[in-house]
Amino acid sequence: MLSTVLEQVVNGIVTGSVYAIVAVGMTMIFGVLRAINFAHGEYYMLGTFGAWFAIDYLGLSYEASIIVGVLATMVVAYVVGQLVMSRMVGAPAESGVLATLGIALILQNTVIFVFGGGYKFFSGGYIEPISIFGFSLAQQRILILVVCLVVFVGLELMVTYSRLGMAMRAVSQNVECCEVVGIDVPQVVSRTFILGAALAALSGVLTAPVNVSVYGGMGELITFKTLPIIIMGGLGNVRGTFFAAMILGIAESLVATYVGLQFRDTVGFATLILVLMWRPHGLFSTQARF
Amino acid sequence: MSLTETVPQARRRDLRIPLAVVLIVVALAAPYIGSRYVTHSLIIALIFMLPAHGLNLLVGYTGLLSLAQAAFFGIGAYTAGLLAVNYGTPFYVNLIAAALVSGAAALPLGIPALRLRSTSFVMCTLGFVIIGQAIAKNWVSVTRGDMGLSSIPKPYFELGPLSFTVSGTTNFYYLALAVGVLATLAVWAIVRSPAGRNMVAIRENETLAESLGVPTWHYKLIVFMISAMFAGVGGCLYAHYLTVVSPLTFQMYYSTTMLIIVLGGGAGMISGTVFGSLLFVGLTEALRVAPEVRMIAYGACLLVLVFWFKQGFAPLINRFWNAIGGVK
Amino acid sequence: MTHQFNRRMLCISTAILAIAGSVPFTATAQAADTIKLGIVAPMSGPNARYGGFSLRGAELAVKDINDAGGVNGTKIQLFNADSQGTPVEGVSATRRLIDQEGVDFIIGDVSSSVTLAMQPVAEDAEVLLLNAASSNPKITYQAGVGGFKWTYRNYPTDENRALVVAKYAAEQRGFTKFAVLSVDSDYGRSAITFTKKYLPEFKGQILSEDYYKEGEVDFRSVLAKIRDNGAQAIIYYGLADTTPILARQMVELGIAGKVTLIGNGEFNTEKTIKSAPTALEGAVEAAAWLPQFDSPASKAFVEKFTTTYKEAPNNHAYVHWDTVNLLAAAIKQAGSADKSKVRDALSKIKYKSPVGDVTFDDHNQARLPMILLQIEKGVPSIKGAYSADIQYPAK
Repeated sequence: MLSTVLEQVVNGIVTGSVYAIVAVGMTMIFGVLRAINFAHGEYYMLGTFGAWFAIDYLGLSYEASIIVGVLATMVVAYVVGQLVMSRMVGAPAESGVLATLGIALILQNTVIFVFGGGYKFFSGGYIEPISIFGFSLAQQRILILVVCLVVFVGLELMVTYSRLGMAMRAVSQNVECCEVVGIDVPQVVSRTFILGAALAALSGVLTAPVNVSVYGGMGELITFKTLPIIIMGGLGNVRGTFFAAMILGIAESLVATYVGLQFRDTVGFATLILVLMWRPHGLFSTQARF
Repeated sequence: MSLTETVPQARRRDLRIPLAVVLIVVALAAPYIGSRYVTHSLIIALIFMLPAHGLNLLVGYTGLLSLAQAAFFGIGAYTAGLLAVNYGTPFYVNLIAAALVSGAAALPLGIPALRLRSTSFVMCTLGFVIIGQAIAKNWVSVTRGDMGLSSIPKPYFELGPLSFTVSGTTNFYYLALAVGVLATLAVWAIVRSPAGRNMVAIRENETLAESLGVPTWHYKLIVFMISAMFAGVGGCLYAHYLTVVSPLTFQMYYSTTMLIIVLGGGAGMISGTVFGSLLFVGLTEALRVAPEVRMIAYGACLLVLVFWFKQGFAPLINRFWNAIGGVK
Repeated sequence: MTHQFNRRMLCISTAILAIAGSVPFTATAQAADTIKLGIVAPMSGPNARYGGFSLRGAELAVKDINDAGGVNGTKIQLFNADSQGTPVEGVSATRRLIDQEGVDFIIGDVSSSVTLAMQPVAEDAEVLLLNAASSNPKITYQAGVGGFKWTYRNYPTDENRALVVAKYAAEQRGFTKFAVLSVDSDYGRSAITFTKKYLPEFKGQILSEDYYKEGEVDFRSVLAKIRDNGAQAIIYYGLADTTPILARQMVELGIAGKVTLIGNGEFNTEKTIKSAPTALEGAVEAAAWLPQFDSPASKAFVEKFTTTYKEAPNNHAYVHWDTVNLLAAAIKQAGSADKSKVRDALSKIKYKSPVGDVTFDDHNQARLPMILLQIEKGVPSIKGAYSADIQYPAK
């Protein structure tokens, strides 16, 4: 009994890692833009598609396909950032919703148009199971866990010490003041956006071997999973997002085991609503900033 | 109308009344002018106009961005569908029941949600849609789960000894038109009332409104419930028209459709919502000429809308109206 | 800022809007003498992963028929219409096909709720609606003598499928303890409802019951539960693209080879088996068709599809390809493309499909052979083809 619970917790942590890498990009983008990015899952999809293309069409190895997937997504994110996101600084919330929805539709359906709508199978990755502490896991999942930890330690350092990180924090607090002290706001927005998209793509490529199925509309689901996480984590809060993602991953896993798999997708929003009843600004936001 | 425009120079003839007459005639004669496909498209526009009216009260007049409309739309559709399938009740009973159930459901959902602000509120309302879908899928004994409700009977009326069934696209169009006109008049009455002005006050500055004695909390809650009732009425028409209600009636796509209608037409303007629903249906149907790139083009249109028509088409409609009225 | 607004600009913008608004509603030019066939399928959004295959299957069949000179010398013109998998869009698409394009024949949709909403529209316009991929039993319960005269379905219902699988699993494999893991849709749920109806006959019992939502990628928690409750087989009526995910996670949790997958979800394709050979070994599936099916027509289809689209066909591609051919056969038999003659021909047809003869019952439901297969040493081996009449509920 206890070991089953423990096993589910481990499962949940792995799932949480996937969400965490996607969500942290989204939350950073929110920090600088104040816009809910409904297109964020699409970068996850683009990364996966890039890697699938690299393996199936270019015949590259899985390792190389990770780089191809992430780079291809960064290029797309650069274009989208220049054309669309940079115009969104200071725009009202509702136009952010519509604009990112528009981007989501364009990205998703362009991929369907180019590669055909049908699902594809992803063939790379390390899918052999290994056993640790009596739990059987695919090697790929260990990789996801490790990458997740590396990403978060890296981001924590970056946000605290690097120039870009400090600029990001400054922009998320007060855009006008940043402009006064000479911070190039559009550049910070653009870079944050590319970084966030690249993280989503990385998460996509890393999970592709265990999720196997690749199709144009796969990003939507990820968007829906990450939205509650970034709210619970306290918008713009990197560390909070990490813990929120883990909590959601574990909660989902336990619900899927003890309540029923069909309720899994509901867990995110149900937890969110409960959390918001208790702490209207999320779990990890110390003060109301927005 | 702002104060600077109070001295119109009537230089040309006022064409507003003739135009209004033409519009009314076109609306009434539409099924005989266009094909059944046109009539069908207009019905869809009218169905989505109802929840959009409700959303306009929230977004446009009270300043609350909500994505919950699809949830109330779904509740209305299920209420009407279940009543019609299980009890064969007349249309007006279904309509009223759909409105009341949706409105009642909005009360317990609105109380916690309205305590939240901005992004949290948006996400919370989106959560209602997702959770609504899960309930519709899993409460099999009532909603029949994923099988959904099908063969929902055509709307019928029972007035004393008289009873008649609305069948065929043309007749349904008149029914939808009647409901749509009544709903538009209802919105107009709400907006024009003192309550409507208080709503605008909340949108512009909630704290100030509160300090001037507007019970903002009650206002927001009541507007949330009214908007849900509009969505419920739309859901009732939807159920009867499509004859099918499935858990997918609860989906964000519908919520965003309604948002696109409101913002595209111009938030905070009744004619904007009416125009927006026609524009939305016209656009999505027009794009069917190129099925492969349809949704890509639709996404691009959204971007154009957001960045080039920030206020939606409301300013254009206003100018048009003034121009044909001879006001420069 | 004052904005000068002049009447000329107003007139121009109004004219543009009016033209743009009327574009969708003007009938397209009538191409001379073709058979107009519409296909309604989800072609955008997440559901496009099924609609994409449907469209390609139908396109291939139309191309083949036209290359061979058409049906009775008349070419088929294919119109595709996007339903996005939602009833509203599906009905709009159907209306457009009927009233603007003037099609007499429609194939669609994949999603059952869309098909159910399309049925009255087709009936109202007296247009032949052929369904090739929805499995909700209600579609043909209410067709033919049940009501809708213009709806036909060339796709097996879940009832036959569930019976065949349950019988084989219990009698040939001796399973008695089952766990349910199916997709949370009318297909998955109704297959399980029928399985439950037949299982007691075979002394089978269900130990756990779970439904996954479309797009689900993590089954490890449920598989752990199944591993611990001692089920011998997982009754899986799922989506084709989910099968490899599930199979890989069975390997991960060490239940591959210990618990058998039974049901339906394209266990038989090369790619699926390759994704997790150990988990799929011994799996039992009831399928309408499989790529390895040994008939010249079926083999030719697989080869042509693969060379044309650079991807292997799946079940959805096949059923749509087959349905276009079925329609062509009915038109040929009717001797004209007149829709009511074609409908009458369809009711009486004995169509030779690549998997066997197809006829329609009085509910316009195709009697299709259901192929039962078992994966043995990494290749599907066919255990028999069953076809059974459907018992319609008495009204």
